[in-house]
Amino acid sequence: MTDAIAAEWYKLRTACSTAWILAVVAAFVVLSALSSWYLAHYWDGLSPRRREEFDAPSADQPLSVALPVCAVVLGALTVTSEYATGMIGTSVAVLPRRRLYAAKALVAAGVMLTAAAAGTAVAVLAGRAIVGGRPVPVLGAPLADGVPHLLLTGPVAAAFTLIAFGLGAVLRSTAATITTMVAQMVVLPTLTGLLPSPYGERIWSALPEGLAEQIAAPPGVSAGPGVLSAPVAAAVLLVYVAVALGAGRLSFLRRDA
Amino acid sequence: MRDAIAAEWWKLCSVRSTRWVLAIVAAFVVLLLALAFQEAQIFDGLAPGRREKLALRPLQEMSPWVTGLCMAVTGVLTATSEYRSGTIRSSLVAVPRRSRLPAAKAVVVTAVSLAAGEAATLGTFLGSRLVIGDRPFVDQRAPLPHDLPGFGVEAVSVPVFALLGLALGLLLRSAAAAITAVVLLWHVLPLLVFHLPAPWNERLGSVMLGGLGPRAAGHSVENSIYGGALPPWGAAALMLAYALLPLVVAVSVFARRDA
Amino acid sequence: MIEVRELTKRYGGTAAVDGLSFQVRPGTVTGFLGPNGAGKSTTMRILLGLAAATSGEALVNGGRYAELRRPMLEVGALLDASAVHGGRRAFDHLGWLARSNGIGRRRVAEVLERVGLAGAARRRVGGFSLGMRQRLGIAAALLGDPGVLLFDEPVNGLDPDGVRWIRELMRGLAAEGRTVLVSSHLMSEMELTADRLVIVGRGRLIADTSVRELAERFGRGVLVRSPRPAELTGVLSAAGGSVEDDAGGALTVAGLDVADIGERAAAHGIPLYEVRPRSASLEEAYMELTAGSAEFEAAIS
Repeated sequence: MTDAIAAEWYKLRTACSTAWILAVVAAFVVLSALSSWYLAHYWDGLSPRRREEFDAPSADQPLSVALPVCAVVLGALTVTSEYATGMIGTSVAVLPRRRLYAAKALVAAGVMLTAAAAGTAVAVLAGRAIVGGRPVPVLGAPLADGVPHLLLTGPVAAAFTLIAFGLGAVLRSTAATITTMVAQMVVLPTLTGLLPSPYGERIWSALPEGLAEQIAAPPGVSAGPGVLSAPVAAAVLLVYVAVALGAGRLSFLRRDA
Repeated sequence: MRDAIAAEWWKLCSVRSTRWVLAIVAAFVVLLLALAFQEAQIFDGLAPGRREKLALRPLQEMSPWVTGLCMAVTGVLTATSEYRSGTIRSSLVAVPRRSRLPAAKAVVVTAVSLAAGEAATLGTFLGSRLVIGDRPFVDQRAPLPHDLPGFGVEAVSVPVFALLGLALGLLLRSAAAAITAVVLLWHVLPLLVFHLPAPWNERLGSVMLGGLGPRAAGHSVENSIYGGALPPWGAAALMLAYALLPLVVAVSVFARRDA
Repeated sequence: MIEVRELTKRYGGTAAVDGLSFQVRPGTVTGFLGPNGAGKSTTMRILLGLAAATSGEALVNGGRYAELRRPMLEVGALLDASAVHGGRRAFDHLGWLARSNGIGRRRVAEVLERVGLAGAARRRVGGFSLGMRQRLGIAAALLGDPGVLLFDEPVNGLDPDGVRWIRELMRGLAAEGRTVLVSSHLMSEMELTADRLVIVGRGRLIADTSVRELAERFGRGVLVRSPRPAELTGVLSAAGGSVEDDAGGALTVAGLDVADIGERAAAHGIPLYEVRPRSASLEEAYMELTAGSAEFEAAIS
């Protein structure tokens, strides 16, 4: 298994797309820092009364919008790019499929977890340093409040990577996988807003996008309509991951490469 | 040029992804109509005072928004699937004039996405009116001929997204990269802009592509993440720029590049 | 008619094609030979307008390919046969190609019939074998009934039946008066197919010759076996041939052809067991010509 993981890591590391995805993550970290800087200066220019009403997003807000997209693209490409290039034949020939599938999933999830956690940490710490002593709401909140968010952002991003990975193994098409995942993350939550209460909120709470917010929302962000506690939301997200990985595995092992 | 367009039309019709995307758009319209039915039920159960707050327009405007993403993916794929499979070389051997091939693609993508966008948008609008019957929803009281042109205009954002997708596909030559770029423009960027402090959220939100359709139609964008600073004609002009400028850049890069 | 004049194509600092000039005439199969990386595919891509030349020109029927109004009616090309969209049916693949050049549907059915794919017209190309894809690519090249045909490595990965089919097809096309240019890195294949040879190495022209000329230029004489070698040596030397004694009792005769040798031996009543020109040397000739021009030569261990 170690060999399989080492091989997959080598493959992922040498793929151009991985570098691009990490570059996008890095760009959004920089954008987050810029946004913190701008907000801090904006705060300085506000009258005391308007400061009362001012509500800034958390320091890593720009990054947190882009992370799910990056996670999905990485997860999808890990498996679909091999089908697109036909390299899957070579991969399957040199490794047992079971092990190949597991190694791919592990490596992709590991890379995304690390990138998301590191990126978020940098964005938050940079924001903290830039805002300094200004009592900007959320941005200036004590670091300790953000610890759960910091710790959980990585795993949540990895979960999105794994869901996309499983779906990619079923669909075997980059375009279809990314589009389906994006639709599921953006369109479905919006649709639930059209449903009557409490059904809309309940369904929203059970969608991956909603679960992510219920598990690892940044501190002080106005809570979404979520009805689940963080541990329950985490459990539901794990069910999504398990189902996607299971379906992907079935397709990966059973169908011809 | 007519031959090249006819060939592109044949190409688009003979791959499964086109049919899938159109099927998804159709399924989405059906889903929206089911939701409209649901809203009609809610309407009946509401006290008269609260009925005034239940609007149907957000549901009706979902249709061009989602169709825009779907057709953008189609636009991306018309370019990137050729690069992935290598068909691009056959295409250029058959149609060697460099600007002609992407121009033919653009014509076909525009036609298909305009048709799909209008069908989905007007279908959702008319269908939802049919579903709610004579229930006087607060934003559905105008006669059909009054509201219909607005939705017709709003649907024009769908081919704009599709052409943007085509341009990104030609430039990036990778479905993953181009679709990601589309998603960034369609979803991530407007969301980032929305979180900017005033007045920049309003100003930049007014030039986000997703909000231009409703704006060009003269619809209110008050309850959305977009801004309404542009007059309808300004929004329409900007939409045209979104459609054409990236395409012009993509075609000129394509004309110079070895295949 | 294909004309390549002083063609050069540079990628960064390296020249894939370097001052290459040659002509391909109608009515013959011209083999475009060279080791991998010699610039054959690049030349063909420039001929078809897929890549731009750094300098020089490549003309088809006297003009640039990109300026042809309906190029498929004049030039047919098979580049990479596997470069087709797997989700499309064979008929549709040829259909859009035909439509782009104003060619009718009936012709599509005709070429499918000709390459033996009529039964697979409604199948998706993704499920095709390499041989079937090659046939589909050839069908595409034949769509416009063009007078000039370019085939890039057409026999790569084909089974012996497929190889023979393509060989006969190319010879047939040339016999109809068409210009046929076939690239290959296999001399043995071109020996059986081509009349003329354009041999390139490292982007430069090495030889522009006919198969016959090449065989003669690198001729290794005629191998003769006879139960009376000493007597035969005397007769042939007297007739102006130079005779060498090979190991194993065979003679290698230079300066006389097979007919000469047979007639002289018969005149002196000397029986012959074997008379054979050493034509296997074409492969050697090619190796000799292209020696040192292969892009990546295997390290000698």
